[in-house]
Amino acid sequence: MHPEPPLIGQAVPRKEGRDKVTGRARYVDDLVFPGMMYGATVRSPVARGRIRAIHFDENIPWQEFTVVTAQDIPGENCVALILHDQPCLAAEIVNHPEEPVVLLGHPDKHLLEEARRAVRLETEPLPAVFTIEDSLAKKEIIWGEDNVFKSFLVEKGDVDSAWARAEIVVEGEYETGAQEQLYIEPNGMIAVANPDEGVTVWGSMQCPYYVHKALVPLFGLSKDKVRVIQAETGGGFGGKEEYPSMIAAHAALLAWKAGRPVKLIYDRAEDMAATTKRHPSRTRHRTGVTRDGKLVALEIDFVIDGGAYCTLSPVVLSRGTIHAAGPYECPNVRIRSRAVATNAPPHGAFRGFGAPQSVFALERHFDQVAKACGLAPDEFRRRNFVHAGGTLAVSQVIHENVDLPQLMERAFAESDYHAKRARFARENRDARVKKGIGFAAFLHGAGFTGSGEEYLASVVAVEATAEGRVRVLAASTEIGQGANTVFTQIAADTLGLDPELIDIAPPDTAAVPNSGPTVASRTTMIVGKLVESAALGLKQTLVSSGLPGERGGPEGRPCTSEEFQRACAEYIRKHGALRATCQYAPPPGIKWDDEKYQGDAYGAYAWAVYVAEVSVDTVTYEIRVDDFVAVQEVGKVIHPVLATGQIEGGVAQGIGYALYENVVWREGRMVNAQMTNYIMPTSADVPPIRVFFEENPYPFGPGGAKGIGELPMDGPAPAIVNAIEQATGASITRIPVTPEVLMEALEGVHA
Amino acid sequence: MNVFEYANPTTTKEAAGLLAAQWGEAEILAGGTDLLSLMKNYVATPKRVVSLRGIKELSGITSSASGLRIGAMVTLQELHDHKAVHDDYHSLAHAAGSVPSPQIRNLGTVGGDLCQRPRCWYFRNGFGLLAKDEKGQPLVPAGDNRYHAIFGHPGGSPGAYYVHPSSLAPALITFGARVKVAGPKGEREIPLASFFATPKREGERENVLMPNEIVTEIILAAASKGMLTATYEVRQKEALDWPLATASVALRMSGDKVKSARIVLGHVAPVPWPAHEAEKLLAGQTITEDSAAKAGEAAVRGAKALSGNKYKVQLARVAVKRALLEAAAHGKEGMQHG
Ligand SMILES: Cc1cc2nc3c(=O)[nH]c(=O)nc-3n(C[C@H](O)[C@H](O)[C@H](O)COP(=O)(O)OP(=O)(O)OC[C@H]3O[C@@H](n4cnc5c(N)ncnc54)[C@H](O)[C@@H]3O)c2cc1C
Repeated sequence: MHPEPPLIGQAVPRKEGRDKVTGRARYVDDLVFPGMMYGATVRSPVARGRIRAIHFDENIPWQEFTVVTAQDIPGENCVALILHDQPCLAAEIVNHPEEPVVLLGHPDKHLLEEARRAVRLETEPLPAVFTIEDSLAKKEIIWGEDNVFKSFLVEKGDVDSAWARAEIVVEGEYETGAQEQLYIEPNGMIAVANPDEGVTVWGSMQCPYYVHKALVPLFGLSKDKVRVIQAETGGGFGGKEEYPSMIAAHAALLAWKAGRPVKLIYDRAEDMAATTKRHPSRTRHRTGVTRDGKLVALEIDFVIDGGAYCTLSPVVLSRGTIHAAGPYECPNVRIRSRAVATNAPPHGAFRGFGAPQSVFALERHFDQVAKACGLAPDEFRRRNFVHAGGTLAVSQVIHENVDLPQLMERAFAESDYHAKRARFARENRDARVKKGIGFAAFLHGAGFTGSGEEYLASVVAVEATAEGRVRVLAASTEIGQGANTVFTQIAADTLGLDPELIDIAPPDTAAVPNSGPTVASRTTMIVGKLVESAALGLKQTLVSSGLPGERGGPEGRPCTSEEFQRACAEYIRKHGALRATCQYAPPPGIKWDDEKYQGDAYGAYAWAVYVAEVSVDTVTYEIRVDDFVAVQEVGKVIHPVLATGQIEGGVAQGIGYALYENVVWREGRMVNAQMTNYIMPTSADVPPIRVFFEENPYPFGPGGAKGIGELPMDGPAPAIVNAIEQATGASITRIPVTPEVLMEALEGVHA
Repeated sequence: MNVFEYANPTTTKEAAGLLAAQWGEAEILAGGTDLLSLMKNYVATPKRVVSLRGIKELSGITSSASGLRIGAMVTLQELHDHKAVHDDYHSLAHAAGSVPSPQIRNLGTVGGDLCQRPRCWYFRNGFGLLAKDEKGQPLVPAGDNRYHAIFGHPGGSPGAYYVHPSSLAPALITFGARVKVAGPKGEREIPLASFFATPKREGERENVLMPNEIVTEIILAAASKGMLTATYEVRQKEALDWPLATASVALRMSGDKVKSARIVLGHVAPVPWPAHEAEKLLAGQTITEDSAAKAGEAAVRGAKALSGNKYKVQLARVAVKRALLEAAAHGKEGMQHG
């Protein structure tokens, strides 16, 4: 049952699928080391305060425990990422609830938990800040000079003078809540660490080299003394981008002091309360249009709550800022954005990375602008969509052959949008359960923003053995999304080989080059392209030393695996190791100005129109999504089942974001850090999601592919809330729309 | 989870002997769907866990002329699938079948459903059932109370604000169910309507059981002919969660008129909440949109919303109305079929 080449475009079996379904795959908690101890973390009970004392209850046999505090850190006390502002263990001041202060290690898990509960931190409270508005108002300075981690200003044209030409001006303010990633496997790490061998960690993670980068200064070791190995990872969604560095650091500190391996695994409640979540946001829009609905001026003020330390907030802010004006063309734009500090655990990466927040605001707002112009929401968008040759807010000229009106038509045809919109409008008047249909149009840039990819300069290697097996070496991680399968397809097609002959080397910083983090919808498009190029390099090497095939052998015939094996063996005998590497180089013509925040923000965008149909019980405020159509242009679909899975999963997550997932805060602490009261949708709450792809190959992606991992997170929330507005007339401006929120809004409507 | 001793008795008597005279020292384990999460979160830290799995006398449903006897260890799925329950106690079968997920229905037991601990955030986060701060002030009225009680709470003073989590209890009470309880001193029988109680002091529980008593069975009187029943639940989402409000109704009919009605609300008060005013209002009435809506109004007349749960008053009102209309619709179907 071997799939015929080309594999790209086919739903080949998942590379690691068999191991996962048979239970052979080993996740970090499946790993057991001789003499291993367990670790636990004692965390700050307060949002902000000075640590006065740490009390250890006398009833615990402390001599059996390994106890680590900030004083035990051999190097710099920080989790190095963009800045070095976040301590690995708080020493004098705590800046958020759940901030790690003391680490405990013991061979008995149960005793460890009792001990954790027997450590009491005595703190002197300091005034804290919990909201975006208080932080902006500098009610208390809690970070830097002004509570601002980062700000951007994007300008195009001249907004100030454009208002005079606007015939209609519409303003609005929108808010989005935090969201927990809820990967199936909670975070966890195992470390072996001692001054002789250095530090080695195994664990659940997206970015081995981020962990590596954090451990080096923490221990003051040279880079080769730190080794990070990814264990099988049960999902990430961004939630295993930055925090694994913290957990790895803690496990390693305990192991270093104890002289034994240490396993540190979070349970669900600790994972939810202490690790990163999606940044809450507030967006203000002021939009000027002509009477016939042409955009004249867009002014956007976008603010995200970064929590207590900088972590990745500047990058999240950047993506949110660039996506804030959507796939529209407007001559005059000003986007001002800020990431501000509050005394909550740092917010972090989560699928979409700032874009779901700003896209929600824009796509809700544009329904209001359409209404103000007396236009249907689709007609307003049609008049303002960007076309090939047009420019986005960041002054990026679109060279792709994008056709948003066509995507919209297809989405409308598949969802029967127009007929339903008319019918619902007619029938809703007398109905208790009212129906609505709404949509959102959006884009999502793949890869790091601006000069990010150039700066990362990712490397991939491909090597062959004398037995004719090929290994792909990259630090990109399989986290359930299918990276290993996609790399296999790309390498196999490039080399004309059976996919069974391709191995993907396990990400291990001692063995694989740094292909960058597994984030930002970049793995297939950017790293996949490097896999393709490196594989091509390998092939060329073989061809030039006599491999039959396209150029070397009989006309146009790809080599057989026997020929390939023979050529590899021959080459290795003569020259030694057979390996090709490839380093990222930006596509020609890409320019980005980091100062002005203008230029080619992303090499490519995926484009999409999503349509949601809802029913709303106006008496009980129950909302159901009845149907969902997702149409997107993604360059080239490499694996139809995985690609569809990405979209379906993202839409399901988007439904949770829109309707259910409500992080309840009390003084900076998530008080519903349990799945029994943090409500996420289950399969029973998710409608059939109908996924349609359009293909428009991107020349600089492997086989023409663009990134799609984050895209599906952006559209569902505004599409659903737009549908709720059609159903009920309630113009809701914040998510999640829980029954209480809807009730408030509806009472407003009927009053 | 703390370290504990596990006991696996084979008789009720033995089990009762293994329990402690103080709450908290030993816990009964039935299906474990609730107890295990309580223990994992250190809300329950028993020194001994007494499993009821090995006790044969607690299993099975027997149906006789005098009614039904439901063993405490009967699973929710068995209850839902039982023919006599399905035919004669429709609203109960519906309530059992609506407890989410096959896994929970296959493990969770009837005894466990009635004795499961409240889902209150404060309780589950270690603030206790009465959830007071250091000064003895109640946390719920000033805090987040979106899922808390709209009936039967004391207002501003310390006391219980949680809602009782069982959705079987309201349906069972409309049928006049009784619980049989076994302890070291022997057995006693209690009407289910007076089984639930609001604790006065922290450390007390949500029912009248002694710390060393076990619920052994539920007894239902024979169903009366032509009784119309329904349970209506309002949930925030489809699966894996408790309802926000439920109403179970049982109507004895005389022709198309209600002779007498039993209406009990769930998930709105620290105990299953009978709607006596609504019951009285319906006597002698036919069930119409209008009478059902009026009954809904009457049912919530004494409701006292907290700062964040006004919406629950609306949900309770609607649940009563829709349960009545459903029950009446069953009556019509019944007439058409036979
Ligand atoms: C996600 C989820 C959703 C749920 N939704 C609903 C819902 O919608 N409606 C609903 O009613 N329930 C719901 N439940 C609760 C579920 O029905 C209960 O967890 C289950 O019925 C408890 O039964 P058990 O046998 O597993 O009890 P256990 O967990 O074994 O015990 C629960 C408690 O009752 C005590 N206990 C058990 N048996 C006895 C006995 N015979 N005598 C005295 N004490 C006893 C135990 O000591 C313990 O304190 C839900 C549960 C989950 C996890």
